[in-house]
Amino acid sequence: MTAAVDLRSVRYHYPGTLAGVADVSLAIAPGELVAVMGPSGCGKSTLLKLIAGFLEPDAGEILISGKSAAGLPPQRRQIGVVFQSYALFPHMTARDNIAYPLRVRGVPRREREQEVGQMLRRVGLADRAERRPPELSGGQQQRVALARALVFKPRALLLDEPLSALDAALRVGMRDEIRHLQREHAIATLYITHDQDEALSMADRIAVMRDGRLLQVGTPKDVYQRPVDAVVASFVGQANLWPGRMRDAATVETPLGPLRIASDHGFSPGAGTTVMVRPEGVVPGRAPDGINQFTGRLLRDRFLGSLRRYDFDTDRGPIAGETPISNMFDAVHIPPVAVRLLPPFDPASMSTAT
Amino acid sequence: MASGEGALAIVTACYLLYLGVPIILLLIGSVGATWYNTLLPQGFTGDWYLQVIADGSFRRAFWTSLQVCSLTCALAALVGVPLAYVLNSAADRRLRAATRVAYLLPVAVPPLVLGFGFVLVFSSDALPFLGSTWVLVGGHLALTLPYLISALVGDMRHLALAELEQAAASLGANFAQRFLHIVLPSLRHSLLSGLIIVAALSIGEFQLSNLVAGFLSRPYPVVLLQAFYGATGFACAATVILLALALIAAAAGALIAGSAPAARGISG
Repeated sequence: MTAAVDLRSVRYHYPGTLAGVADVSLAIAPGELVAVMGPSGCGKSTLLKLIAGFLEPDAGEILISGKSAAGLPPQRRQIGVVFQSYALFPHMTARDNIAYPLRVRGVPRREREQEVGQMLRRVGLADRAERRPPELSGGQQQRVALARALVFKPRALLLDEPLSALDAALRVGMRDEIRHLQREHAIATLYITHDQDEALSMADRIAVMRDGRLLQVGTPKDVYQRPVDAVVASFVGQANLWPGRMRDAATVETPLGPLRIASDHGFSPGAGTTVMVRPEGVVPGRAPDGINQFTGRLLRDRFLGSLRRYDFDTDRGPIAGETPISNMFDAVHIPPVAVRLLPPFDPASMSTAT
Repeated sequence: MASGEGALAIVTACYLLYLGVPIILLLIGSVGATWYNTLLPQGFTGDWYLQVIADGSFRRAFWTSLQVCSLTCALAALVGVPLAYVLNSAADRRLRAATRVAYLLPVAVPPLVLGFGFVLVFSSDALPFLGSTWVLVGGHLALTLPYLISALVGDMRHLALAELEQAAASLGANFAQRFLHIVLPSLRHSLLSGLIIVAALSIGEFQLSNLVAGFLSRPYPVVLLQAFYGATGFACAATVILLALALIAAAAGALIAGSAPAARGISG
């Protein structure tokens, strides 16, 4: 199947700066939602501008539905964009905003009205159609922006941090709505975000970017459970990360002391590594067999409703953990299967990621 | 706090009085029969207004001012909008800064200097146009355009017009469609408020007009100066008419701006 959007070794850098993207290759299949995440300035918005045609790559190629988009201006790319600020036209009503892409394409009035009416109903704004953007709430503006970007049946949809301007409560609901609309239209979607919860809960695949490069592309589960390195691990989800050195095939030395690990990790004895343990992998209480057990006390204990997130203080350093149980404990243990080994730490690469 | 607010109220009142008294005196003087060495004029008459209206040179100057003002506004809009657009969308930051200095320069240069320049250029054999209405319009355009462009460029930044245009482009609009559907309607408020400033400046302009106007194309303020060599009542009445002219120009602009559908200013 031809990818809806296919980036091939795309490079762009902003004149006079170091910012931009370097050697990015990424294909989005029709109907697929790819979330691009990374810290601010990592190049994720640049990627969007390149696909939309607001920027032309310095090198590499962008294919849209299998055809090169080189030299094609934005208005001829057939790509829907939802901007972070929504960029709704302030002098037009919600209805006129949504009708705009059809109007500039010369769609006859009757047909236009029908499609816009349908779109308005689909995003639940039929009763707000005659309001102008300043008279709409943030969530309603967001829906108008989405409807406007979808009404002309674009070949792909690009969303630039679409939920960052909304209240936390609204954001979760809008996630489902965007996902629903995206599925309904079966449209290839690039979703830019710096919110890991958004990325993990919505995306078919996640692309993690830093310093203009793609570090890892994979399913949310993959990226979360098998991050390629410490940078990805620290950016996607919470993680305990310790520098380690292999003692033997089943043990790794860490600042906390030796940790037993499950086999099948590919590191040979003596090799340097980064040890990763996700907070939910840390189990409160003593281990039945005493393996990877640490005694100490609870340092910081944050109640988050259905679970609590804590720092457990051992005499060799803290361990971050997460648990649904609410009683106190004076020991934690880390089952060997919860320990993952990543390539050795590069302190320079971590300095800006954490 | 209360004493601070009281002091502020006194200062404000004094300032309003300082602004208002000359206008009030003008109004009173324009209907006073005689005004020699007294605090206020004596007697009441509407004669001064009738005299000004009957005066051919004042009548001609009145229409000249209206004509110059309308032409200046029209040209300012025609030149100002594209210029502001180019200025705002120039990619290079240094180029934007340089052009900004260039278009704001007429604000810093006294109109007198500009006027002498016009005299030199338009009294030459190659361009013998000194005294024509168009030279007057050209001068007023140079003096007022910076104010219009400032208003437009400020609004473009405030509205994030560049992003609205990107959005329109992604939705399929070509350059002409973007300009007509997005840029112009978005700028209507700042365009109108800018044109009110242009109209007010053009109606009241004296320094440059006095130098470049021909005998038959003198605008109102230039002719007004003559009035002060005659009777006080006549001068007052003639000045009040200028004031009315300026107010009408501003009010007309404001009315047009007010009748435009209010898109901004309503908080959501």
